Amino acid sequence: MEFVFSQLAGFGVAMVDLVVDPLTYIYLITSVFLGITFGALPGLTATLAVTILTGFFSNKIPLDYSLIALLGAYVGAIYGGSYPSILLNIPGTAASAATAMDGYPLAKAGRGGEALGMTTTASFIGTIIGTFALLIFVWLLLLVSKNIASPEKALLALFGILLSGTLMSEDLVIKGWIAGLVGLAMAMVGLDPLLSEPRYTFGWSYMLSGFQVVPVLMGAFAIPQIIEGMRHIEAGKLLELKGSIVPNLKTVKRYLPTIGRSGVIGTGVGALPGVGEDVAGWVSYGVGKTVSKEGDQFGKGSLEGLLSSETANNACIGGALIPLLVLGIPGSPPAAALMGAFKINNIIPGPTIDPAIILRVVAILVLASLTMFIMGLFTAKIFIKILRIPQTIFLPIVMVLTTIGSFSVGGGINDLYLMLGVGLVAFFMNLMRYPIAPLVIGVILGGMFDETFRRSLLISDGDMSVFISRPGAAILLTLNIALILAQFPAAKRSFTWMKGKFV
Amino acid sequence: MDNSDDITVLRARDFWSAIGLFFLSLFFLWKTSQIPLFGANRAGVSADWFNSAALVPLGIFGGMLVLSIVLFVIAIKAGGAQHALSSIGLGWDKNEALRFTTIAAILTGYIVGLVPRVDFIISSALLITALIYGYRGGHRDRMVTSSLFVFAAGLYAFVTHLPQSQWKAHGDDWVVLLLWIGLVLVSLAKSKSDKVARLVPLLSVLAPFILVCAMAFGFRQNVPNRTGLIFSQIEYNYYVNLKPLWSR
Repeated sequence: MEFVFSQLAGFGVAMVDLVVDPLTYIYLITSVFLGITFGALPGLTATLAVTILTGFFSNKIPLDYSLIALLGAYVGAIYGGSYPSILLNIPGTAASAATAMDGYPLAKAGRGGEALGMTTTASFIGTIIGTFALLIFVWLLLLVSKNIASPEKALLALFGILLSGTLMSEDLVIKGWIAGLVGLAMAMVGLDPLLSEPRYTFGWSYMLSGFQVVPVLMGAFAIPQIIEGMRHIEAGKLLELKGSIVPNLKTVKRYLPTIGRSGVIGTGVGALPGVGEDVAGWVSYGVGKTVSKEGDQFGKGSLEGLLSSETANNACIGGALIPLLVLGIPGSPPAAALMGAFKINNIIPGPTIDPAIILRVVAILVLASLTMFIMGLFTAKIFIKILRIPQTIFLPIVMVLTTIGSFSVGGGINDLYLMLGVGLVAFFMNLMRYPIAPLVIGVILGGMFDETFRRSLLISDGDMSVFISRPGAAILLTLNIALILAQFPAAKRSFTWMKGKFV
Repeated sequence: MDNSDDITVLRARDFWSAIGLFFLSLFFLWKTSQIPLFGANRAGVSADWFNSAALVPLGIFGGMLVLSIVLFVIAIKAGGAQHALSSIGLGWDKNEALRFTTIAAILTGYIVGLVPRVDFIISSALLITALIYGYRGGHRDRMVTSSLFVFAAGLYAFVTHLPQSQWKAHGDDWVVLLLWIGLVLVSLAKSKSDKVARLVPLLSVLAPFILVCAMAFGFRQNVPNRTGLIFSQIEYNYYVNLKPLWSR
């Protein structure tokens, strides 16, 4: 209990620091507004919002402020995705895909205002649940992570890539793994971290420093969205918003258990390396459908279904920051973009991170969710108007934003060539249903995997048992192997057989 | 996955991507074989096999080779090879292919040709105008016209000022400016009744103008082509006439 109180005290100090600084409000209001706008415009994502702002802010303003801008945009964009889901039946972001299942039927039934109000409330409570989980668990895990050495780090990085590949695949799991391997391969370009041996540079001096994270992020997430958006003719009719947006307290109270459960699920899914808000939304929706008394109403305009996904995707934000801050492994694609911001500020998330940064992150998340809640309730009409802008108008401007952002971080034209190359590859990968998140996670974690894997072998003088003899490493190795074996048909059959036998 | 047609298309594409990945991993395995695995490294440090820079890449490209074979087998078993060359297998009709090609041409012309050499405001204005005019409403002829304008501008800048030493020259800035005016006139002539079309010229200049000024003077970030026709004037007037007003 003493621990919890000391954390809350530290959080209080960080909060006061933020609240008394007038610049906080400028960054917060602007970034949350931008975030909701990005989320509300179909074709733009939370990852893109964080990535573009990383290009703008991260290396020229102090990290303290760029964190406000990036986290504000992150929270706003995940929430903003619910607008087109409810009013247009088009998810603004992948995280809001489950929201459309019930949000649109509710809006069609004339309950759009109620749906939006409840979504705003659920997103706010969800973010707060995830944030306080971050406040408590990050410290407990940091204590554990102090004992994590190279073998565990290498296996954890591998687990992050494998898990991301497994859970983010829309088609075959093997495609997720291939995407992860492509990302890992990209991370091998440049000087190797131990001996400075040049690898795959093809005589191009730019390649000696390897693939920079921001142009890769911009290429992987922005270019395919732009091409995809311009390829399709705008369709869909915006429904009129009927009813009051201000939520009814009785309704909120009635659905509090659902909101609480979804918040916990969202945080848990977020804490899994590389998974993200869309998986959180669907998992929570699936659990909600199974355990709810009105499960048969899910998909037909159920408020409980809507709250299940919307709470979870926002709670996922706090969860996704846990592995990022504790281990340096991003929990979601937008967290991967945040990792890029940390990197260009020379801050290495992990056991050695400055505790003040963690407390500041928690305080910013609370303020950002509060700002989002107020904006959601009182300025919703502005975002609904923004929704009317066709993709073909805003995507060209996003292209210019992406170009200048990518150029500014690296300061070179080569970064733009890299962005374009990665973007075209990512577009074709999207077309063939290869998930992009594992590729980006692979690029980010590749260097760490290479270094820690070889360092482990160096310490053990080439003895591979170093990955079994340490308990933490043995558990992680088992998890990695189990994750791979679970995809074999025989394993799947035996799992189904066991389920039939015992359930 | 929505229906069996989608699966057929995907497996046909998997067939091709598995072949591509197979040869890609073979190529990179060959490149990896050039990195010393045993003995002294080029860095001069004596290295055992477990310390070699080739170790992890060998695992990655070896893994990719195995996965590409597995994907190949899955694709063939699901009929991917049978449909690989059919229109359903390729999954793209002529319109889709044209749309992608024109967008790719515009992006390539902009990033490879224009951004390094031409004033950022002018080149971005051309890009925005081309993308909005070309892709609003899905008119085939407009897509082609737009891509021709941007690609021609990019190609001209690329060919006439290829080496970095010539990127400061302004000849291509004037050509791109004329092409932008030309495209604006075409778009206004073709969409007389469209209110949005009338706003596009203003939007296409204003958006990059605000962005580049915010980046350069607000966030003190590096911006492309500081010596560009318009931006060099903005920068000169900012530092010579404007900034002294509040710096005194």
